[in-house]
Amino acid sequence: MINLLIDTSTSNLTVSIIEEQNILYKYQQTILSDMASKLLPIIDNGLKQLNLTLKDIDKIFVVNGPGSFTGIRVGVTVAKTIAWTLKKDIIPLSSLELMATTHTNKKYLVPMIDARRGNVFTGIYDKNLNCIKEDKLVNLEKSIKNLNDDYEFISYDNINLDNLIKPNIDILKIINKHTNDKGINPHNLNPNYLKLTEAEENKLKND
Amino acid sequence: MKDTYILGIESSCDETSVSIVKNGCEEVATVILSQMDIHSCYGGVVPEIASRMHVENITIVIEECLNKAKMSMEDIDAIAVTYGPGLIGCLLIGVGAATTLSYIYNKPLVPVHHIAGHIYANNLVSKMEFPLIALVVSGGHTDLIYMEDDYKFKKIGGTLDDAVGECYDKVARVINVPYPGGPLVDKLSYDGSDTYPLPLPLDDDSFNFSFSGIKSAVINLVHNETQRGNKIRKEDIACSFQNRVVEILSKKTMKALKEYNVKNLIIAGGVSANSGIRNKFTELCQKNGINLTIPNIKYCTDNAAMIAAAGYFAYKKGIRADIDLKATATTSLF
Repeated sequence: MINLLIDTSTSNLTVSIIEEQNILYKYQQTILSDMASKLLPIIDNGLKQLNLTLKDIDKIFVVNGPGSFTGIRVGVTVAKTIAWTLKKDIIPLSSLELMATTHTNKKYLVPMIDARRGNVFTGIYDKNLNCIKEDKLVNLEKSIKNLNDDYEFISYDNINLDNLIKPNIDILKIINKHTNDKGINPHNLNPNYLKLTEAEENKLKND
Repeated sequence: MKDTYILGIESSCDETSVSIVKNGCEEVATVILSQMDIHSCYGGVVPEIASRMHVENITIVIEECLNKAKMSMEDIDAIAVTYGPGLIGCLLIGVGAATTLSYIYNKPLVPVHHIAGHIYANNLVSKMEFPLIALVVSGGHTDLIYMEDDYKFKKIGGTLDDAVGECYDKVARVINVPYPGGPLVDKLSYDGSDTYPLPLPLDDDSFNFSFSGIKSAVINLVHNETQRGNKIRKEDIACSFQNRVVEILSKKTMKALKEYNVKNLIIAGGVSANSGIRNKFTELCQKNGINLTIPNIKYCTDNAAMIAAAGYFAYKKGIRADIDLKATATTSLF
């Protein structure tokens, strides 16, 4: 069973090819521009190193949000096109859950993505990746700053918190957790933005 | 000679479209998923909403097109995709799907400029004859282009400010005509008379256009009439405005045909659906022995058939992109 993992939801672009308990290929870089044109060449590079093609992949894990709207769409578009046309299983992953694979001694993990205007996308996970509080958009001041020492704050972004650590993701941990998830129809694999567009929000306010 | 099938993908604005065209002239199947109804409640295209709809629909539209054509990816010779200009978030979806398919099936990837697509919509009507003059009129463009041969574009004039479609939309807003303003102003003009003394914009010897002046004239007119407590006759403004626009477009285009000694004219772009333009040019070309082609109404607006048609000629010319093809919001055809 060969798995392909794609995460374009944050500035930390991740592509990995995993077979059973082995990471055969891992690309992880901070990419600040043109993620769209870089993704396929990175996948191609990984496959070539391993003498594989996309046809050899059994399952695609794609991070479908939350995070950068454009970034998520880039990964989802490529992943769903592969899965649809080659009839591969495709499984969506949460960007926050992936960050919550970071090793910690604390009881809970609070992965965060900056959503601007004092807001963050966040959820609360325990060390076994059980979701304690589901991913959503919250106000940093109101929802996060009062959490006690049991919680480890994790983010790639420069969020205004004292004891923030950078994620150090464990790809095998999240794949193992989701390896038996049922694949979904690629046509229905869509971004999970956790936020309406501004136009929709304004419309709701005015209606 | 073996037939060449191009799969075209277009997602530059608010239409997700995929088409298969044979030999650059024969449409095999086209699917267009328009988001117009959704954007109409916002008074215009919302880029983020458009991008969200594209990603939800892209694989569905590709599959539907292949099914409609009773073809599979293996039957396709090359994949053509709009890489720009357009809304960047939207372009990325089409380019993402196209590069992925090109990579998987090892098919040539052909980047197509959106305006080249609009021009080649005409090749789906009848084989384009050269040399020709192309008048491109849309929400983002107003260009006069001289083409000596296939896929050779030389700009001879263009708008110095607003595009003609943009101007239509602004005039629509000023006289309270809902989105999509352009087509509705066109319709309204038939119920009115040319009573308002609007200026003929940039009536000079160049092949350039300027529509900001006539736009301001309409704004001032409406403002002044309202101040005086006079009722505005929307239909008459629409008629006066449309007459002036059609007149300057036709005047400069006919002059270009004469100066370049060209007998073939094509009109392309979303605004070529405008009935005033269609009628006036049909009449003038008949009178002057010009061979005129305008796309069918369904090919005037954004669609992938035109991208596949243009893609065929780009493909024949050896234009290729790699899997790192970048979508670009602004890019020139020239």
